[in-house]
Parts: sequence; structure tokens; C-alpha cells
Amino acid sequence: MNKKNIKVNDLIFQTVTKIVVFIIILYSLHLFFSGHYTPGGGFVGGLMTSSALVLLLLAYDVKTVKNILPFNYINIAASGLLIAVLTGLGSLFFKVPFLTHSFKYVDLPLLGETSLATAVLFDLAVYLVVIGVTMTIIQTIGETE
Amino acid sequence: MAFQILLNVILAWIWMFLSSDYSTIAFFKGYFFGLLIIFVLRRFFHKRIYILSIIAILKLLWIFFIELIKANIDVLKVIFSPTSKVKPGIFSLETSLTEGWEITLLSNLITLTPGTLVIDISDDNKTLYIHAINIENVEQTKQDIKNTFEKAIKEVSH
Repeated sequence: MNKKNIKVNDLIFQTVTKIVVFIIILYSLHLFFSGHYTPGGGFVGGLMTSSALVLLLLAYDVKTVKNILPFNYINIAASGLLIAVLTGLGSLFFKVPFLTHSFKYVDLPLLGETSLATAVLFDLAVYLVVIGVTMTIIQTIGETE
Repeated sequence: MAFQILLNVILAWIWMFLSSDYSTIAFFKGYFFGLLIIFVLRRFFHKRIYILSIIAILKLLWIFFIELIKANIDVLKVIFSPTSKVKPGIFSLETSLTEGWEITLLSNLITLTPGTLVIDISDDNKTLYIHAINIENVEQTKQDIKNTFEKAIKEVSH
């Protein structure tokens, strides 16, 4: 991030980060999928995922993280917005108002009876937008000297 | 070690498919028979059988709990003594551990046992700089404790 005059050996920090990042991302996915009936949802899940990426940025250099995750976060935010608009437009095909959501109980082969809701797609859009915006802000602040 | 555990899980999986019983009990039956086979054919592998590594990890945990209780009692003595006789100081400790996770584990064990605190690691990952609450009389015993931790960690990655 900034120019370090004193070289610090970050061995312990980096080793712990290697393990903890996976746990944080798994927890963020759990939060994302538990949003319908229990606390959680797209916003908190996205923030948690971006916090894992921020931990990576703290432990390693910006260049290293860019090699690990070669994403353009602005595109991620844009695709999230696109998904949100498309889920809204999908309701127009069924002669119902804009952004009307529906759900259906489907018998999946392994999981049994699961309710698939179109609100999950909207949540996914929120998730992507939050990750894109947060990471764009942090990387832009981090790169300017 | 990881390969042997994976092989054992796959053998348990195959056992479940052979007996066409997909319950937890069947998995553990298959796991037990797989462990038996791996034990008989243990000379196939370059590394020792993984049960020994798991025993070493449990030993390390046991040492850690004992040291945690002992060291906390020591710190209690320091806190409640009316005359403060502590002499804090920093000493260096040469480690023979090489892997990153080994050094991290050793540092965290040293930090979690009160009275000592890892401040820094040298750039070549060979020397730990440790702050001790009582550098006079504890130095020698501290070195002994580090030797027990280091030995236990080496047993795990043997």
C-alpha cells in the first residue's frame, strides 16, 4: 500500500491469512444464502467477502492480489446492476408489475424439496454490486500516493 | 499424511457403494477397514502412517494446555506479589524450524503462554525475538519450554 521504510517480516500474518480467508469467504456465502428466513442477505454477504479480500490486501501487496484475483471490480459492479434490472424486467413477460418476485417448490434430485425464489437472483445482484463498489473504493484509495 | 487420509476416505466411500448402504455407520465401517488395509500396507508409502501424526498433534495440544495453565499460575504470582521484582527484557531464540506454518505455530504457542511474547521474526526466518516478563531466572527454563514445543512441532511434521 504505502512505502515502507522499515522492512517487517509478515510471516505469521501471511500464514494465518492463508487459512482465515477461506473461512471468512465460506461464512459470507452462508450469510448470503441464509438471507430469506434468517438474518443475512446480499449486502452483508458482499461486505463480508470484500472484507476477506481486504485482509488479503493487508497481508500481501496490491500486485500479488491482482495476480491472484485478476478481476475488474468495476465490471463486477456493472454486471450486478445488469442482473438486478434483468430480474425486474423478467416479471414483465408474465403480465405482472415490474420487480414482482415469485417462488416455486421444486423437487431437486439430491436436495429434496427446495423453494427456488427469484429474489435470490436479485440478492446475487446486490452481492456483486457491494463487492464491486467496496473493492473499487479501497483499491483506488490504496493506489494513489 | 494428507494423501493417506484421502485414500482412507475414498476406501470408506467405496465400501459404502459396495454394501449399498449410505449411512454414517457404513462410512465408519469402511473407514475402519480402510485403516486396517493402510496399516498392513504401510511400507508402501514414503511417509509414516498418518495415525502417528494425529497422535503427535494430540500430544502437542496436551503440552499446550498444560503449559497454558502453568504459565497463567506464574503470571498470577507476579501480579499478586506485593513487591514487584519483575525484570522485563528481550532475548533472541534460534529456531531450527523451516516451514512457514511451523514457525507460525511455534510463535503463537510462545505468545499464548503468558510471560513471553513474540515481537518479531528475522528476515531469514531463523531467529525469533521474544519479550519475556522475567528475564533473569526464567531464561533457562524458557529455553527448555521452547525445546519442548519445538520438539513436539517437529514430531508432527516428521
